[in-house]
Amino acid sequence: MSTSHGSSAPTQAGPLAGGSHEPVPDTPPAPGFVAKLGGGFLELFRTARELYSLFVRTLYYVVRGRREKGAVAYYMYEIGNRSLFFLTVVMGFIGMILVYQAGVQNKRILPDLSMLGATYLEYLVRDLAASIGALMLATRVGAGIAAEVGSMVVTEQVDALRMCAADPIDYLIKPRFIASIIMVTCLIIWSGLVAYVMGLLTAWVMFDLNPQTFMNLQMVKYPALLTGLVKCLAYGAAIPIVSGHAGLSTFGGSEGVGSATTRAVVNTSLAVIILNLIISATSFLVFG
Amino acid sequence: MAKSKEVAARSARAVEQKGILHAAGEALLSIAQTTGSMGMVAGRLMSRLVRLRVDRDELFRSLYRMGVKSMPIVVVTALFTGAIVVIQAAPLVQRLQAHALVGWAAGFSTFREIAPLLTALMINGRVGANNTAELGTMVVTEQIDAMRVLAIDPISFLVAPRFLAIVCTLFLATVLADALAILGACGAGMVLIGVSPATFYNSLTGGLIGVGDIMSGLVKSALFGVVIGLSSCHFGLAVTGGAPGVGRAVNATVVASAAGIFVLDYFVSFTL
Repeated sequence: MSTSHGSSAPTQAGPLAGGSHEPVPDTPPAPGFVAKLGGGFLELFRTARELYSLFVRTLYYVVRGRREKGAVAYYMYEIGNRSLFFLTVVMGFIGMILVYQAGVQNKRILPDLSMLGATYLEYLVRDLAASIGALMLATRVGAGIAAEVGSMVVTEQVDALRMCAADPIDYLIKPRFIASIIMVTCLIIWSGLVAYVMGLLTAWVMFDLNPQTFMNLQMVKYPALLTGLVKCLAYGAAIPIVSGHAGLSTFGGSEGVGSATTRAVVNTSLAVIILNLIISATSFLVFG
Repeated sequence: MAKSKEVAARSARAVEQKGILHAAGEALLSIAQTTGSMGMVAGRLMSRLVRLRVDRDELFRSLYRMGVKSMPIVVVTALFTGAIVVIQAAPLVQRLQAHALVGWAAGFSTFREIAPLLTALMINGRVGANNTAELGTMVVTEQIDAMRVLAIDPISFLVAPRFLAIVCTLFLATVLADALAILGACGAGMVLIGVSPATFYNSLTGGLIGVGDIMSGLVKSALFGVVIGLSSCHFGLAVTGGAPGVGRAVNATVVASAAGIFVLDYFVSFTL
């Protein structure tokens, strides 16, 4: 997010060796702390406004845009099917880790592990499946979108689109946006399932917990389910918007594509964490 | 003539319609290839690190650009995730009236899993991806070849300092994130469920969390640093094909490090 002009401090024009007159510094003084802080906030504000504008324009094109046959299906394949293997591996491992750590933690205060499965499922539905899955997709999908769009910007294909009177948002971002909302929801439900099954097996092997005791659905109530689904939709919308913004604002050659991809990964992950905080806190305050 | 055309068409179709076995074998081979070449990068790196042939200025520059410049996202991530941990635990705490255990619960999960894992994911996105992009740009613009021409070893001049800087950055950032996540958890506990900081502190230091829990997280973070460093250097040096190639490499390194982090986390969690 921060550009590099803050890092290289301008060389101070020192007093001339033999000169008697006061030298006039030809470079502006280095920005002080307040200026840097203000610059950071202005940059943040500008990025937020651009993201909002991109989001609104994408929504407009979702309703009124061109319908290109097969584009959404293609990106659903790109975003969804091609992330499936990665997500399954990661969520399988995280399911095992979470249940193991929760079991160890639980055993220190209570020897009874019978509620482990029910609590784990509630956390999975309400938060963990959506947030960890979305963080993974933010790296996989977000980096992919930024790299594709960024290389199109650098090779002037986006300018060519504009010259053909095709808005790049309509042509590049909108199909990814629709595809991402659908596929992120599907993938997160799948990843929750994978994490749950692997957790069940871990509890069975490590703590001798009967799978029937583990498969206890009584803690999952409608508020948890609703929170989880809202998170799926929010992350599904945020990933293509934030990473598409990073891709469209690429400049420079291959270095620019690299930094755009970096920015996309960082900003998308931050967006997921911030949305998680907002949605979790709201859900806690509403449902208690 | 017609027959040869038909044969060509059929072979083209055979290439297009890869069977599931073919695809699985190809994926396995590519994973094996990546692991192998990462091992070779690791071997070359070790031979320079053991003999201390690491460029000192480049090391400090890398530490500044990777470590100091990543502080804002580490701070934001740690504060927010600490708060999220407490928000997620809040309904359970209120149901069981377990206010005295909040500090312990937040500390345990933060030290052992959440701080090392999330810091590693953010550093992977910020530093690992950036490192690949920089090395990849140098490869694409033939700067690495130019160094070889000048008889400068690119591994000890460029790659080894970055690798060391990534490992140090992640380790130190995790120490910072541990502290800040606890601060965020304490704040959220105070605001949302009315756990006073004194109660929080007492349950955190009540003896249920040992040095082992913190060390477990820190050992993990050092290993995650090795994974991120190796994969970002490997994918950066293996870039081909101009600006789109750099984008693809960054994508590949981020995905590979994330998968590597989780797989390694599993093994470390079960052995420690």
